[in-house]
Amino acid sequence: MSENDKFYVERCLDGHPDDYRYLVRRYQGVLLANLAGKLGSRDRAEEAAQEALVRAYFNIGKLKKPDSFFSWLLGIADNVAKEHQRKDQLQRQREIVRSFTEESSGTELSQDYALESAIAELPEAYRKVILLRYYGGHNCNQIAEQLDMPLGTVTKTLSRAYAMLRESLQQQKQAEVYEV
Amino acid sequence: MNCEESKELLVAYFEGLLEDSEQQAVEEHLKDCSSCQAELKELTALHDRLVTNGKALAQSNLEKDVMNQLIREQNVRLKAAARATDALKIRRTIMKSPITRIAAVAAVIIVAALGINYIMAPSVTWAQVIQPILNAKTVVFDLILGTDDSGMVQHEIVVGSRMRRTMSNMPNMTMIIDTDNAKLLALDTEAKTAVYADITGDLGDRHRSYIKFVRQIIGQLQGGQVEQLGEQVIDGQKAVLFVGKGQNEEVRIWADPETAHPIRIEAKIGQEFSFAMKNFEFDAAVDESLMSMDVPAGYTLQKTNIDLGNTTEEDFVKSLRIWAEIIGDGTFPESIGTQSAMAQMPVLIQKVTAMQVSEDKGTEIGMSFAKGMLFHQTLENQGAWNYAGAGVKLGDAGKAIFWYQPQGSQTWRVISGDLSVKDVAAENLPK
Repeated sequence: MSENDKFYVERCLDGHPDDYRYLVRRYQGVLLANLAGKLGSRDRAEEAAQEALVRAYFNIGKLKKPDSFFSWLLGIADNVAKEHQRKDQLQRQREIVRSFTEESSGTELSQDYALESAIAELPEAYRKVILLRYYGGHNCNQIAEQLDMPLGTVTKTLSRAYAMLRESLQQQKQAEVYEV
Repeated sequence: MNCEESKELLVAYFEGLLEDSEQQAVEEHLKDCSSCQAELKELTALHDRLVTNGKALAQSNLEKDVMNQLIREQNVRLKAAARATDALKIRRTIMKSPITRIAAVAAVIIVAALGINYIMAPSVTWAQVIQPILNAKTVVFDLILGTDDSGMVQHEIVVGSRMRRTMSNMPNMTMIIDTDNAKLLALDTEAKTAVYADITGDLGDRHRSYIKFVRQIIGQLQGGQVEQLGEQVIDGQKAVLFVGKGQNEEVRIWADPETAHPIRIEAKIGQEFSFAMKNFEFDAAVDESLMSMDVPAGYTLQKTNIDLGNTTEEDFVKSLRIWAEIIGDGTFPESIGTQSAMAQMPVLIQKVTAMQVSEDKGTEIGMSFAKGMLFHQTLENQGAWNYAGAGVKLGDAGKAIFWYQPQGSQTWRVISGDLSVKDVAAENLPK
């Protein structure tokens, strides 16, 4: 956490594209976590994260407030995820037709897909806090600064997010039990 | 502390954010409360699971992949841009943006107002330099391109290497130029658009502010070339007139007979280019924010690059095409050159905007126009050129519109109405 987002965004705008790598480094984990849950596999998440980061770079001039880079990037990633989901859906429909006789090869799920999909289902405010805390290397104070909220609100939001995650993980488990 | 209070504080507790007294209270409560212990255990398990997952996701090649893709795409985009510049064809595309306007203007104004493409041979310093003109840290003045009644007035504030400039024929445009760092900030106060430009090319010796230019003329005129022409009345004031003549330039300075404060300065270079400066204020206090290169809040920002590198005949020909095709609706103008170009800027902007070209295209048109102007300024320095294009239709191959003698060349270059260029011996030039 050397310089803030604004600093690097402005460096990029001032013609130092190489400095974009610091923003990539800072948010790659966040994006992967956000996307893995939505797209179901590590590979797909990486592909979408790359696309989102590249798209963000070439549109960085449109970012109105350089210090809101994170929220903006997350919005782009969500859009990319939606586009990919749509594409996946079409492909899956085709595959279903084909797969009556053979097992679909499928892609390898993420290590902890249950957790990632639970995160993906969180409402945005809660999702942001969890992503920054565990995938963006932020501590609570840094989250407070990044999202411009009091520290107490951060811990309360985290607390509520944990409760939602637990509930969601619990439901997934039960669903598996019933399936078996 | 009861369970409810404790549970509320658990997250802050394991994040280590509690004050000592609160921390102790939570710990005390945890000792005896199995329900809260279980809650903490669950939370810790989830926390650990998140940490593990976070670490797993942090290991990826994403940084390398993204940076490689950026470089690839950037190159593709640059090549596409270069291809677009190769042929200057003005096409109508479906895109409208106030930025087009401002970027095009910025390109021209940077050349017109900053650059006088003119190098004088060094000579002995003029003994009677007028102190404030040469030494003032800040200079505020009005600059008139052309004549007092018909020319445009440019209000200019110069502080060190920064200049702020507003123009009477484009009231919503403001330019701030940093000559040391070769940066330009152009603001359209009406459209709330800003263009921040890097100026590349030779800014060193050739392009400077008008005040620096005047300083250089004064500094390099020899004492013997300066004449005092006695008292006159100028701009309603009694003044002493000094006239200095160089090889190709002439400067007239009217000064207050009692205080020596300059009232008006006129400079003429070559056969056509002249400007006047008046309403001087030296070392006036200037609000720093006026000279700031920061983009004001609420403005849309566009970055661009203004290349003032070597200008060629080709640039000049492109600018002639713009004169005829865009400004003159198919006909070449009465006159060309910096003064005329500046006077026609609002027309060019209006037409470019109406053409609804893309931002890049608009900038490109502005740049071509500016570079052509710069090329013409070099000719002013070298003397030998002639324009005869007034009223000639674009495409008329039978009429010569412009001819000039390149430095060191025996023959002349003649440009015709169809914008073809030929080498012609001096005796065969049009009459």
